[in-house]
Amino acid sequence: MNAGSVSKTTTDAQRQARYNSRKRVNTLALILAQAAMAFGVFWLIWILLETVRLGLGGMSLALFTQMTPAPNEVGGLANAIWGSVVMVVLATAIGTPIGVMAGIYLAEYEPRGWLAETTRFVNDILLSAPSIVIGLFIYALVVARLKSFSGMAGVLALALIVIPVVIRTTENMLALVPAGLREASYALGTPKWKVITLITLRSARAGVLTGILLAVARISGETAPLLFTALSNQFWNSDLSKPMASLPVTIFKFAMSPYENWQELAWAGVFLITMAVLGLNILARVLTRQK
Amino acid sequence: MPEKHLSTQFDSDLDKISSRVMEMGGLVESQIYQAIYAMSHFSAESANQVLEIEIRVNSMEIEIDRELASVIARRQPAANDLRLILAMSKTTANLERVGDEASKIARMVKSIIDSGTSRALPSNDLRVAADLAAGLLRKALDSFARLDTSSAVDILKEDDLLDQEFDGFVRKLITYMMEDPRTISSSLDLLFIAKAIERIGDHAKNIAEFIVYVVKGTDIRHSSMNDIETALR
Amino acid sequence: MVETANAPSASKISVRNLNFYYGKYHALKGINMEIPAGKVTAFIGPSGCGKSTLLRTFNRMYGLYPEQRAEGEIILDGENLLTTKKDVALIRAKVGMVFQKPTPFPMSIYDNIAFGVKLFEKLSASEMDDRVEWALRKAALWTEVKDKLQQSGSGLSGGQQQRLCIARGVAIKPEVLLLDEPCSALDPISTAKVEELIAELKNDYTVVIVTHNMQQAARCSDYTAYMYLGDLVEFGETEQLFFKPQRKETEDYITGRFG
Repeated sequence: MNAGSVSKTTTDAQRQARYNSRKRVNTLALILAQAAMAFGVFWLIWILLETVRLGLGGMSLALFTQMTPAPNEVGGLANAIWGSVVMVVLATAIGTPIGVMAGIYLAEYEPRGWLAETTRFVNDILLSAPSIVIGLFIYALVVARLKSFSGMAGVLALALIVIPVVIRTTENMLALVPAGLREASYALGTPKWKVITLITLRSARAGVLTGILLAVARISGETAPLLFTALSNQFWNSDLSKPMASLPVTIFKFAMSPYENWQELAWAGVFLITMAVLGLNILARVLTRQK
Repeated sequence: MPEKHLSTQFDSDLDKISSRVMEMGGLVESQIYQAIYAMSHFSAESANQVLEIEIRVNSMEIEIDRELASVIARRQPAANDLRLILAMSKTTANLERVGDEASKIARMVKSIIDSGTSRALPSNDLRVAADLAAGLLRKALDSFARLDTSSAVDILKEDDLLDQEFDGFVRKLITYMMEDPRTISSSLDLLFIAKAIERIGDHAKNIAEFIVYVVKGTDIRHSSMNDIETALR
Repeated sequence: MVETANAPSASKISVRNLNFYYGKYHALKGINMEIPAGKVTAFIGPSGCGKSTLLRTFNRMYGLYPEQRAEGEIILDGENLLTTKKDVALIRAKVGMVFQKPTPFPMSIYDNIAFGVKLFEKLSASEMDDRVEWALRKAALWTEVKDKLQQSGSGLSGGQQQRLCIARGVAIKPEVLLLDEPCSALDPISTAKVEELIAELKNDYTVVIVTHNMQQAARCSDYTAYMYLGDLVEFGETEQLFFKPQRKETEDYITGRFG
């Protein structure tokens, strides 16, 4: 061992060298990460800009007041918008209660029972099932049997997409509620169902609501299931037993056509959906932040 | 205390105080022996020694009490630790009083020497009693260090004997005084010394009582011998 | 063998031969004790000794978890809490509990207090106001929150939240109050306020407190139970237990000779 001061400066120099190399690696990694992010964001922004550019031009009052036209005629997207709104709202109305209650069951009653485990497993499969498969399922079950496409079939298909999403988020959000809060409620003599509704659910309501909103955002843009169920309709239709127009299907039809007015309308529709989904996501963020 | 605390600092604090108390006890014992020597050999030098040690004994009492207060503040002792601390504080006080009694004896001896009175009085009896008292104190301190409750009872009984000795001595002095009134003033001096010795025995008894307090948690002060023996069973 | 120092005053809860299991693990072994009415009883002991487990049997809290089970008798007002056919919610209304971590409900301070009351009583709006004020006063929280009753309970400080939970528990007027380490998450001043509260509460309730802070048990309780590894080692008057315990194990624990 040398004299204390000499070995100290040598170690200092070594430490400095190691620090410098760590710093270099750190900087490199940081640059790579930022590059990756920029790459992803770049495409996103481009998509948004294109959507705005091509869609904004087609925005007018007529969009909301006139029906989908024949090729090369003037028109709007009123029936498609109406159809989408109706089907999304109904699908949410059907799917949410089922999803929330199933989520409550999974989180609060028998979370480790055989039924719960099976449900979770099936739910995970359904969650990642391609939406076209769900569409075909409803087709075989409803459309083929009744021998007609219908808005109701579309609603059912969309509901089947809503349910697994809501189940998953509800269960997760409820599980995040600390056990202490439940116990405190039980300790006051609260019956189980009241603990769940007044305390647990209330505690988790922001998260559950977010889950529902995200499910809505998802089904707003689903095309494949509607292709086989609600089909489409050139005219205004409020009868659920008949085919209904919807924005995604209309966009699908119009975008690939050679007609310019249809293409314009398609872009306008894309713009509408994008804005709606954006709005729902922002709303979800706002809700979670306030908690 | 035989077993160790989880906190070694606490153990070392308590050990430190215990050895201080024993040190103080040693000093006080030497005061008693010096006082006895001064009394039996009419030695002014020994008497002065006693008074010198007294200063040290008094400052030790203050130091030990301060350390005990510090332990209480920092450790919030409970159960046997608490009883031990209280007992050590009381023991220290008793030791300081013993020192005072030894100093009284030393001062009395000095004033007898200075006044040049007769040396033909039964100071031998006093010598025996003083040795008894000193021995009692030694025994009490030893038993306290070992927390031995059985010797505590013996000490209590021996102090009773000492008290009886004292009563006997007083009667003797009274007969002397009645026979020859010229011996009254020196008899009173000796009475004074005898009382101091008797008190030393009482203080030793107090220390022994605290041994039982620490070990059993029972306060046997002012109790009859019957009650005491029941408490120790 | 349990050493019981003096015969306490009338018993509120009698525990007879209580055994408790977490699955296969035998957590409480043949506990026998009498909890005196109108007094504060403290459970002390090292971690894992079973004091919280024992406390939670008094209001059947273990019933929430299927792998936990209790055998034996816990007699409250003449009936065995473990086997009674009565709705467990009624038991919990009689035997309230405050937990270690303050858990205000996601609602206003007023609603927090009113929540438990509404479960069992039908009070008019003004009666409810009175009850909320009474409970908050009892918890020494009224002056601090009386102007913000509609604000969320989570906006309060830790000490205030804990007192809110105590007020919540007191509002339903139980007969027994169980406190599971109520001050361990609090700073010394809040702790002192809660301890003041406990001293006052014992006028109207029987209080049982679990604490790992021995000095707190010494300050607050009238009776103390020392537990170790699922056994009740000693039960006695606090003054006596902290001055001269009957069991050496107890003395070793409270003087820090554990090792």
